[in-house]
Amino acid sequence: MMNAMDQTGLSLLSIDVGSVNTRALFFDSVEGRYRFLAAGEAPTTTGAPAFDVNVGVLEALEQLQDFLGRTLISEQGLHISPDNEAGTGANAVTATFSGGPAVKVVIVGLLGEVSLESVNKLVSSTYCRVVESLSLNDRRKPEHIVDAICRKLPDLIVLAGGTNRGASRSVVRLANYLALALNLIPQGQRPPVLFVGNENLHEEIDNLLGSLTKLHRAPNIRPNLDQENLGPAKQQLDEIYFNIQARKLRGLLELRNLAEGQFLPSATALGRVVRFLSTVIDAPKGMLGIDLGASNTTVAAAFGGVLQQRVFPQLGMGASLGGMIAETHLTQIMRWIPHDLSEDFVLDYLHNKPLFPQTLPTTPEELAVEQAAARQVMRLAIGKSLPLFPPSAIYPLPGTVPWFDRILVSGSAVARAPRLEQSLLMILDAVQPVGIATIVLDQNNLVGAVGASAEIDPLLAVHVLESNAFMNLGTVITPVGKSRGGTLLRIQMVSEGQKQPVVDVKEGGLQVIPLPTGKVVDLYVQPLQNVNIGLGSGRGGWVRRVVGGAFGLIIDARGRPVQVPSSFNSRKEALQAWQEALGGG
Amino acid sequence: MIAPISYIQPLTTLRRKRELPAEGVVLVNMGDTVHSGDAVARANIDSKHVILDAGRALGLSPDRATRLIQRLVGEKVDEGAIIAGRRGVGARQLRAPAAGTIAAISEGQVLLEVNDERTSLRARVPGRVVAMEPNLGVTIECVCAWVQGVWGNGGLADGFLQMVGESPSQVLTADQIDMSLRGTILLAGSCSQRQALDLAAQVPIRGLVLGSLAIRLLPVAQKMPYPIVVIEGFGKTAMNEDAFKLFTIHNGKPATLNAQQSDPVRGDRPEIIIPIKEAGSPPQPVAVQSFRIGLSVRILNGPNKGRIGEITALLPASTVYPSGLRALSAEVALPGGLQDSCPLANLELLG
Repeated sequence: MMNAMDQTGLSLLSIDVGSVNTRALFFDSVEGRYRFLAAGEAPTTTGAPAFDVNVGVLEALEQLQDFLGRTLISEQGLHISPDNEAGTGANAVTATFSGGPAVKVVIVGLLGEVSLESVNKLVSSTYCRVVESLSLNDRRKPEHIVDAICRKLPDLIVLAGGTNRGASRSVVRLANYLALALNLIPQGQRPPVLFVGNENLHEEIDNLLGSLTKLHRAPNIRPNLDQENLGPAKQQLDEIYFNIQARKLRGLLELRNLAEGQFLPSATALGRVVRFLSTVIDAPKGMLGIDLGASNTTVAAAFGGVLQQRVFPQLGMGASLGGMIAETHLTQIMRWIPHDLSEDFVLDYLHNKPLFPQTLPTTPEELAVEQAAARQVMRLAIGKSLPLFPPSAIYPLPGTVPWFDRILVSGSAVARAPRLEQSLLMILDAVQPVGIATIVLDQNNLVGAVGASAEIDPLLAVHVLESNAFMNLGTVITPVGKSRGGTLLRIQMVSEGQKQPVVDVKEGGLQVIPLPTGKVVDLYVQPLQNVNIGLGSGRGGWVRRVVGGAFGLIIDARGRPVQVPSSFNSRKEALQAWQEALGGG
Repeated sequence: MIAPISYIQPLTTLRRKRELPAEGVVLVNMGDTVHSGDAVARANIDSKHVILDAGRALGLSPDRATRLIQRLVGEKVDEGAIIAGRRGVGARQLRAPAAGTIAAISEGQVLLEVNDERTSLRARVPGRVVAMEPNLGVTIECVCAWVQGVWGNGGLADGFLQMVGESPSQVLTADQIDMSLRGTILLAGSCSQRQALDLAAQVPIRGLVLGSLAIRLLPVAQKMPYPIVVIEGFGKTAMNEDAFKLFTIHNGKPATLNAQQSDPVRGDRPEIIIPIKEAGSPPQPVAVQSFRIGLSVRILNGPNKGRIGEITALLPASTVYPSGLRALSAEVALPGGLQDSCPLANLELLG
């Protein structure tokens, strides 16, 4: 592994191509530590009118050059010159990508609840949309299955099934259906097949499908019934994903060449960061990462280094907003809006946004609708992810999220809210964390860059995550459990050996205890009722080394799930009270 | 900054590539004149098949059954024709359950294509074939007036343009629709009455162009038997002045309403094409432009949504909006002497 800190120059350029915006980010070494220095941003140009990813990349790079006063692009166009003494170029380049349409995948497994479930998890971990699934439980006639596969014209087929000492004939039977379907698809359009099933069948599958299309093989994702091994297949899938997108989107190959292979789907980069952070926090709590994009939302959760992540191509704040609308009753969005808006106004706004995903809300009313939608998109994505979280996740109550130590949120709708309390409230309302969790905001959209740079130099990830490039919004304490109203908790902060005044926390609202960013204190938390903050029901104790953030210490005593009054006046009062508690008006 | 473009062109040469999703057969020739509804190519991705298991039918292993298959891929067979087995009295045989074509043979299984419901690719643009892509499709050229929309219900039709009312904000209601509109493409500012859409289907009209559509009518509009194109978006926004003026000039003339769904990656948008004969070879529309002073723009969001103006200044620093958001912005002069500051993200150039 190359360590850029050992070299002269010590600089890294990272390019992130999202579905709406393309960003160029520059990191350099300052006093021996990596720092994020500047960013350039331009509209993404995968589609009309430019139809070339690199038009947007160049524009973002030019803007970055202007900010830095440093030449990055060489005269040959999209080529980054090596960092040199004249202060030009960069030592290394990475790229992350989430900008194209989701890859259409047909998934095939033996049993719905075993291999098909695993292969679904695999493809859901990146920007794929399952257009057809097939298993032995399928009651359709085989010819109908073959016709369905052909009609969908998938970009990729992923075939799983059989443990390494298990089923073989049934897997071959399913593979034969695929062979028949592939025969019907013209050669130039045949999707590649990724085989992630019984490893003893490689030769047979090769004989059956290898002559028909490009066949990729990865280790069995279910080597035995009790074990799931998605990692190696995920690597293969990322590579195939890139090749499929590169065929469709002009400029992607050049971008990968520019990044010298350090090119990752943005979701994979987020997953790396979340997995890494889960190894440095207190077990058994986990680490949650959310990237709320315009076309996708990614939820990554890791517990002790075991990562589970899922991309939702139907849930996003731009072109994919329709997916949220389809799954949501309007009242679930209206409940977060503190303005007296008609349902038609809200519906019009939500349906027009996918037509023009790049647009920004200019009035307080439009902003309120967007932020309500952001809450609902994240809430849906988290709700759908809960069943997939690793078995080591511990849930205080049915229906809540597990105990998380840190929650990292990225995505413009949240990270670029005009006021920080809006960002924090969106996260609290959407995630509804439990126990004690630190909320971190990726206000500069760096998480992809940090994840992608990990292979070049893990130090960059560590340094940047520890820097203020990521904003620590504060530590949230959320008691959960049955209560009878009144005072829930008694908290005493001990700072530099000095006991601070005792604070009583009443049920029903948000409360802030000032604690400057970076300041470390100990807390003694005593539940006064049978509620749980992660120390056991009704049990209190010391919470050591709590680090202050932008909002200090936040106590969320609103209960889980958060209940928003249904009448407009009461709702407005409650929503305003929560904003005011965080210092907003 | 590269700007999104929406085209409202009084006269242009439109070139449109039409390609099959999978290889097939191109049905037209270079130089042919095509109508919007003409099939220009077809593929057989929608055909129906039957799997015939020779192994099971003959009681043999897949390998042995394969050796007894008597047909080749591509061969046409009649109903009852022997597909596999030995000839002779009493020999087990696999016969075709219906007439069809052998589409594939694999592991003792025969895939028989039993009908030929080929997917046709329609021209969607009236014009002349100016380029061919073997087995995939064609490029069609059309000299026309051209207006792009933002939403379409997927349909396609030709008809005569018929304005409803004399204002871009004219609301379409059922009482404006009668049998005299049969066969026309209706144009109106907005519609929020389901009865109007239903009645238009009964007449029937050939198509409908609206400035905006009430969002509650979206499920109805999606199912209407005639194509619908929305120019501005959902709600009650009037049709923009430029599009309205262009339609007024061409009122009563034949047009194609291509209500295809938007696909930003492919650059597809719903559109209204008004062919213009004997207009020479006007230039093709400009493809890529940046925001510049003097260019016409359409406002996509906020209080002036749907209005068209001219950029009078690109603001050097981020402007703060009532929502609190900051954004790179432009000053836009609107008709009537009004000025509006808009985030560049909320603007679309008029091509």
